[in-house]
Amino acid sequence: MKTIIRVMLLVSIVAAAALLGACSTVGVEVWERDIMAKTEMQPDYNSVDRALDDHIYFSKEASSGGRGLGGGGCGCN
Amino acid sequence: MQLNRPERIRTAVTACTAALLGTSANASAQAGKVDSSLLIYSEVNRVQAAEGVVDFKKTVNERRSYGLRLVLDALTGASPNGATPSTHVQTFTGASGSTGYTAPANEIPLDDTFTDKRLALDGTLVESLDRVTVVNAGGHFSIEHDYSSVGLSGGVSRDFNRRNTTLSLRGSYNHDTVSPIGGAPAPFGTMPPPTNNGGEGDGEGEGEGGGSGPGEGKNVGDVAVGLSQVIDRETIFQFDYSYGRSSGYLNDPYKLLSLVQNESDAEPGEPLAYLYESRPDARSRQSLFSEVRRYIAGGTVDVSYRYYWDDWGIRSNTVDFLSHLPIRGGRALEPHVRWYRQSAADFYTRYLVDGASIPSYASADARLAGFDAWTAGLKLSFTMNEFDVLSVGAEYYTQLGERGPPAIGILQNYDLFPKLDVFMLRVGFTHGF
Repeated sequence: MKTIIRVMLLVSIVAAAALLGACSTVGVEVWERDIMAKTEMQPDYNSVDRALDDHIYFSKEASSGGRGLGGGGCGCN
Repeated sequence: MQLNRPERIRTAVTACTAALLGTSANASAQAGKVDSSLLIYSEVNRVQAAEGVVDFKKTVNERRSYGLRLVLDALTGASPNGATPSTHVQTFTGASGSTGYTAPANEIPLDDTFTDKRLALDGTLVESLDRVTVVNAGGHFSIEHDYSSVGLSGGVSRDFNRRNTTLSLRGSYNHDTVSPIGGAPAPFGTMPPPTNNGGEGDGEGEGEGGGSGPGEGKNVGDVAVGLSQVIDRETIFQFDYSYGRSSGYLNDPYKLLSLVQNESDAEPGEPLAYLYESRPDARSRQSLFSEVRRYIAGGTVDVSYRYYWDDWGIRSNTVDFLSHLPIRGGRALEPHVRWYRQSAADFYTRYLVDGASIPSYASADARLAGFDAWTAGLKLSFTMNEFDVLSVGAEYYTQLGERGPPAIGILQNYDLFPKLDVFMLRVGFTHGF
């Protein structure tokens, strides 16, 4: 199991590094960020609703994590 | 509020700078924000809950901000206890051991003594180390009648490529204490008979006398790495890998397994005894998450996908779609659709059979079964003025269980998955200042 985890981590790091290299060719200039500045384009948009949703799904399903960090903190599961 | 001239200039400059740097002009020009939400949660014939959230964020200066979140919830109602249906009325011992509850014949048994309240408090401090590096640290505390949790979290993120790429590393650690009413039952221990005649709705459930049993510990650690990439003027992409490990007491102390009669017994499928579940004392969880947020024709579309797997044998796929569609007069519609499918845990079983060997681990908790779930919802938001947004939303959530392997005896006559239908109503109010 530990080997699988190590391989997964290695793959993730290599993938992240590769993406980072590829990413240097995409993106926008500073003066093109008008749309990115909109409230609904922010990563924490709807964070309270998302937190309420995650709490419900955590208490009713076996999966956790993804957008935020995983488990703990609630006796509901 | 009347601003004097230097303040007006400073506000205008802050807004322009924020727009240039890619943050929300409103958010940066305002010193803080309060987000509040009330959720009414109603399962058909089962749990009813209300949850309130107040989320406070304040920017102290251009380098530092902090956030506080208070969550209060209260719930009551019936929850499947894991036992199988029977042609007879079934009597179960309540969590306290002194009272019981009954399940009608031919129905999936529900524990209707279930009631609880929860208070959770989270705090976060965010600090910019330089123009492109941000660190954050947080704490968590929550308490229920039979459960408490304390935790720490932290993270660092750094921008690259003209701030089009952000790499982040996050981690958290929680120590939870489970204090089951009457103490933690032994794995596969037989449920004792009620010490009085019991009867329905005596009301001594999770909510009363909580924490009377000795506490059992649970440690939960999580780490995640994330990559956020601006693709073009309208599109941003997010990718996360997360790993988590839980260890300690991972059983649900209130869940049971029916030990049923085998094919050669007098009444195959009828229960002989109820045993407490037994889960492994460690669990490793992993997930890959990707999300695309795109601005299209005046609105935004947010689509995400998550693949989750753990060493209990559970695999799941989640697809989430959320859109923000402005309509006239500062109003916006937000449709939300989510699809979820999970496979069962390796040790999930609907019941145990008399005479067969008892496995090392077994649970009949429906949350560890294989099922599909759908969410569909719609939210309407009203931007009332520069500072205030009100929203009202409704959602429906349903779980549809897999038809498992052919059941034994009388159990062939029942759908053994406790179908779940939930209606949710939420009201939110955001105030910037």
